[in-house]
Formats: sequence, C-alpha cells, structure tokens
Amino acid sequence: MALADLLQQDAIIPALKVNSKKQLLQELAAKASKLTGVGEREIFDIILQRERLGSTGVGHGIAIPHGKLNSISSIKGIFARLESPVDFEALDDEPVDLVFLLLAPEGAGADHLKALSRIARVLRDQELVAKLRKTDSATAIYAFLNEEQANHAA
Amino acid sequence: MEAFYIILLVGTVLVLVAALSSLLAFRFGAPLLLVFLSIGLLAGVDGLGIQFENYSFTFMLGSLALAIVLFDSGFMTPVHSFRIAAAPALTLASAGVVLTSGIVAIAAVPLLGFTWLEGLLLGAIVASTDAAAVFFLLRVSGINIRDKVRSTLEVESGTNDPMAIFLTVALAELVATGQGFSGLNAHFLLLFIEEMGLGVLFGLLGGMMIVWVLNRFTSDRGLAPIFVLTLALLVFAFTGAMGGSGFLAVYVAGIYSGNRKMFAKPQIVRFNEGLTWLAQIIMFLVLGLLATPSQFPAILLPAIGLALFLIFIARPIAVWLSLLPYDFTQQETGFVAWVGLRGAVSILLAIMPILSGVENGTVFFNTTFIIVLVSLLLQGWTIKPVAQKLGLIIPPRMGAIDKIELDLPGTAHHELISYRVMKDSPILGGERIPRWAMPSLVIRDGRSMRYQYAGRLREGDQVYLFISPAYSKLLDRIFASQVPVDEDDAEFFGAFAISPARPAKELDAAYGPGLLSANEQNMTVGDLVTSRLGGRADYADRIRFGSIVLIVRDLDEHEHVRSIGISLEPVEPATNLPIFINMREIAHRIRDLLRKYRGRPVPEKKG
Repeated sequence: MALADLLQQDAIIPALKVNSKKQLLQELAAKASKLTGVGEREIFDIILQRERLGSTGVGHGIAIPHGKLNSISSIKGIFARLESPVDFEALDDEPVDLVFLLLAPEGAGADHLKALSRIARVLRDQELVAKLRKTDSATAIYAFLNEEQANHAA
Repeated sequence: MEAFYIILLVGTVLVLVAALSSLLAFRFGAPLLLVFLSIGLLAGVDGLGIQFENYSFTFMLGSLALAIVLFDSGFMTPVHSFRIAAAPALTLASAGVVLTSGIVAIAAVPLLGFTWLEGLLLGAIVASTDAAAVFFLLRVSGINIRDKVRSTLEVESGTNDPMAIFLTVALAELVATGQGFSGLNAHFLLLFIEEMGLGVLFGLLGGMMIVWVLNRFTSDRGLAPIFVLTLALLVFAFTGAMGGSGFLAVYVAGIYSGNRKMFAKPQIVRFNEGLTWLAQIIMFLVLGLLATPSQFPAILLPAIGLALFLIFIARPIAVWLSLLPYDFTQQETGFVAWVGLRGAVSILLAIMPILSGVENGTVFFNTTFIIVLVSLLLQGWTIKPVAQKLGLIIPPRMGAIDKIELDLPGTAHHELISYRVMKDSPILGGERIPRWAMPSLVIRDGRSMRYQYAGRLREGDQVYLFISPAYSKLLDRIFASQVPVDEDDAEFFGAFAISPARPAKELDAAYGPGLLSANEQNMTVGDLVTSRLGGRADYADRIRFGSIVLIVRDLDEHEHVRSIGISLEPVEPATNLPIFINMREIAHRIRDLLRKYRGRPVPEKKG
C-alpha cells in the first residue's frame, strides 16, 4: 500500500497557521470537506471523537488523527505541516507540527488499519521527518513522502 | 575408611569444580547445566577414569534431587503466574507430552530399529522439558518476555515431569514384561488418574501442613528451612508410598506453601536456592559420570537425527497443537516450541529401561544422553537471540535498582528496606518519598546520618526506610534509574494511546464494529482490558480484538491500568506458513480463502 494511494498533492497543506489543537482539527476538517464533499462538521466530530478516546499524537511532534465516515468511498489522507507547533496532548507532551489525517469509509476494515500503521511507520523515519519540517512546498512534501515509499519498496 | 575419604575427596572436588565453573559460564553465557554435565563426563570412565555404574543409586539420588528442584520451582512460582498460565501450561504438560512421545516414536522406529512401544518409551523419556534448565535460562539470562509466555513455560516445565515420569515408568514396564500394546487399556488410564489425583491431593494437604507446622512450631530461623525441606521430602515420600505421584505432590506443595505467609520466608527462599543449586550440580555431575561416551559413536548419527527431529518437528507440532485453543501469537508459540530444553530429568528417566530390565536398555540411555546434549547446546545457547529475533523481548519497565530487603524480627507489619540512590532516578529529580514510607537513615560517604538531617539525597547515598511489606514494590520506581527509550518501543507498545477511562464503545466505533461482546458494551476500556485478561492486567500484556491489539503500557500504584497502547498491525507474521497460528487465525484464513473462492475481495496482504 503506497502513500500515494492515500494522499494526493492537493491534499497537502504545507504551511498551516493554527493556535490550538481544536483549531488544527477544524482546519483539517475544512480541507477534507473540500476534497470529499462531506460536511465539515461531520468530519470534525468524528476525529474529535477519536481524540477523546486518546490522543493520536504519536510522539516526536507527529500526530495521525483518524476516523471512519459513512459518506466517502475510498480512504483519504490529508497532510499538514504547521508553521509553529501546537499542543496535541501527545504521550511525550511534545507539541505537534506534522499531522496526517486519515479518513476511511465505514466498511474499510483492515485496509483502514493497515493504512494507519503504514503512515505511522513512514513518519517514524527521523531523516524524512527532518526533511518535511524544512520545506514549505507542497510539491516537495509530496515528493519526500513518496520517495520514502520508493525506498521502502526497494 | 581410607576409601571413604577418597570418595568424599573426589566428590567434593567435583562439586567444587562445577560450582567454580559456573562463574565462567555466567561470563560466556554457556548453558551452565551443560558445563556440569561435561565435568561429569570428563571425570567419568572415559575421561579421568572414575568407575561409576550404579544405576539404581543414581536413580534414587536423581529423584531426590529432582524433588528438591521441583519443590523450589513451585515455591518460587507466584500464584498469579500459575493462574494466568495454568490452562495452556497444563495442556502442554499433558497433551503436549503425549503428542511429543508419539511423534518422536515415529522417527525412533526407523532410526533405531525400535518397536513401536520402544519408540513410545523413548518418546516419553525425552518428552519433558527440564524445569531447572528453563527456569535458569529464563531468569538468569535476563530475558524479559511477556508474563504469560514466561509463566506458561515455567509451569509447563514443572508439571510435565510427573507426566513424563508416569509414562516412562508405565511404558518401561510394558516393554520389559513383554505385554506390548495390550497393556495400554482402561487400567492404564485409571492408574494415571489415581497417580495424578493423589499427587494433587497430597500436594495440597502437604502444602497446608508445611505452612501450619512452620507457623505453629518453629521459632528458630536457622531451623525453619530444615523443617521446610524435610516436610517437603516427607510429602514426596508419603505420596509415592501411597501410590501417587510424589513429584507432582511436591510441586503442588511448593506452589501452595510458597504463596502463603510463612515464618522466616527469606531464609527459606535463600536456603532453597542454594540447595537447588547443589541438587542440580549433583544430578548433572552424577549423570555425566554414569555415561560411557565411548559407547556413543555407535548410535551417534541416529541420536543426533532424533534430537533434531525432536527440536524441529516433534516439539513444534506438539506445542502448536496444544496451544491451538489459546491466544498466543505465532511468534510466542514459536518461542514456546523453541524453549523445549531437555535436561537431567530425561537422562534420569533413561535409567528406567535399564532398571526395569529392558533388553537394549543402554541404547535408551545413550540416545537420550546425546539428545539432551544437542538440546542444551542448540537451544540453551540460542534462547535470547531467538527471543530477540521473534520480537518478544519487552522493554524493561524501569531501570536498574539496587535494593536490599531486611526481614525484621517479630510479626512482620514492617519491613526494613534499603536503596542506593541511582543516577537519573526520580528521587534525585525531586520526587518525594510517599508518606507511608518512613525513611530513617542515610549512609553517605561511609558516614551514617538521620534522614531529617541529610538534606537532599545525592547519588550513591544508601537510604534505609521502614515500610509495610505490601508497599515494597511501589518505591522501586522512585529509586530506579531512567530507562533508555528504545526506538522499537513504539512498535512494541503500539503507535497510539487509548485512555483506559473512556467507554469501550468508542473503541468499537473507531475500529470496529464487532470488537465487543454484549456485556462489554458498557465497560470502560480499562475494565475491558482487565476483564479479558482474567481480572488482572500486567505490564506489556496484549489482547487481540479482531484486527487490533491493545497493549498495557503502564499500571498505576494499585496495579490498575494507567495507559493503553493500540497496535493496528499485529506484528507481521515471520512466515506465511500455516504453522504456529492459533484457531482464531485459522478461522480468519479459511474465511479469506472462501472469499477468494467466491471471487470477493480479500483484505490486501502486504507484500
């Protein structure tokens, strides 16, 4: 499963300015709404619901919020790089500045989970993360994320 | 009289050499038991030339030593470990032993030209894992694996000896008397039930007696361990004399008494520890002495073949089938199969055919000896790497501590405990000593001072505190050094955190549906995890819900779940071969196959 399958270039927000976790989730929901046509409120509620269960901040400044929606047909990713990190209640208490939102159709089952763990694994690569933090170009971010993919496939 | 001194001299020198060699073995990681065995071999008839051929004496001495080892294994097994591991361990010890014997027989018949019954006899001889070897390797080599797997292995190694002993004795008699398979009848089964039933019964009663006698009659700390030892041997001998399994009884008595409050327990534990060492050293030494290596070449190849067959085929299949109903991962089942170390018990049992007058008795003995050697060499040396390779080593819960517990005279509602203040420990970082602990003395640079006047603690200080014994473990965290955080921890504990206080329903909504049963709908995540774990969660426990796995990341001071991780990718299977997978996974695979067959999409497998 390649990241390119999950993330199109137009789903990348290269330099997002937000002040709080809530605002960050709202911005992500707004972007996702634009791309999928699903209501912003619905998306926001779903991912907020998941955050209540436990923060999706995985540490080292990275968060992977996610949720399942009835109304979309395929798995959809949105990537955001923040101008300045915000508190995400992550396990290691570090503020977050790289966020990968993953939305999956209700029936995606195992595919949803596999996509999530794939993203988590790719973003555990410290070198890649450093490169992502340094650029504010959507094209570059897209290339980095997929280059990593190519390396792993080799 | 002169002969006596010479025998004693040789004996003590051998034991001394063995004890000294343990220091070397620790350094090089060689399986210690192998070292003891080799010393026996070297001193024996084909080495230094000590003539020793008394099989029946060896059998008695070995049985006595085994009883001591088993009592100590039971004594050191916390009832909690026993509870979580009892079902899989007992299946392994019963069905597993029978399966192993049967499968070994299949190879023994053509390799050694045995009859089926003889093959079964050899299978029974090598079917039990060695309690001493398993305990030693898991505890001493510092392999930190999940509690359930470790406990399963330990309880298995303690309980399969009685089973193998029963089978061996019974089969040897059938072979020797020429009864053949006709002897395997209802009477045989009844005999089995009687032996094991009496073993458990007398074991429990014996355990109660030991605790009672100790708490009622002893007042001298020095004598207490002697009481325990002799009472344990009394249980062993009495049960045996009544036709029960003395080995099972002594193990059960150990578990019972080891988990009770008892007078002078620290002394007993220490005494037992020393005695177990001595028992093992003597058992292996004597068995090594007894062997005649010059006879080995004749059966070397078939014996090695059998050893490999046992290690790579018989034990894995038996373990796999025995663990089918339990929720072990593929890696864990593989590990359990690998930690099938054979040891002194097998060699001891191999004397049985000789004693019962089986025709080719020495073939049994020599073959078994070689099988044990191969197993100790191959498996004993590789347990840690294998555990690492399978990803089973769990990250340590806390760093190193340096702690001494001192038993106080009188009724023990207090305990004196002493810690050395470690570098990077929370206590140095300013964390306070809880109110229930009473720090009284600090030793700094060789000078002792009262805690109140010591000011802030420094690294290397030795602190003495009075506490209630129940709290003893809780202080460890404060005095432990920092644990280095490992990159693999995220893989081990799962990528995301789940709050135990949230309703389990939310978990189902996010990753379900269908993860929960009807009565789990109203639980919190923490309760859900605890209830699925049988009422008590432990650090690094894992429970699978459909495609997700929840992992206990941390416990609070009341042993409640404080933090849970969720792994979305239950550790990738090391192999796609359908071996070692449990029933649930078999069901999953069959479902996938059926879908493929009907042309429906199958969840994609990562390639």
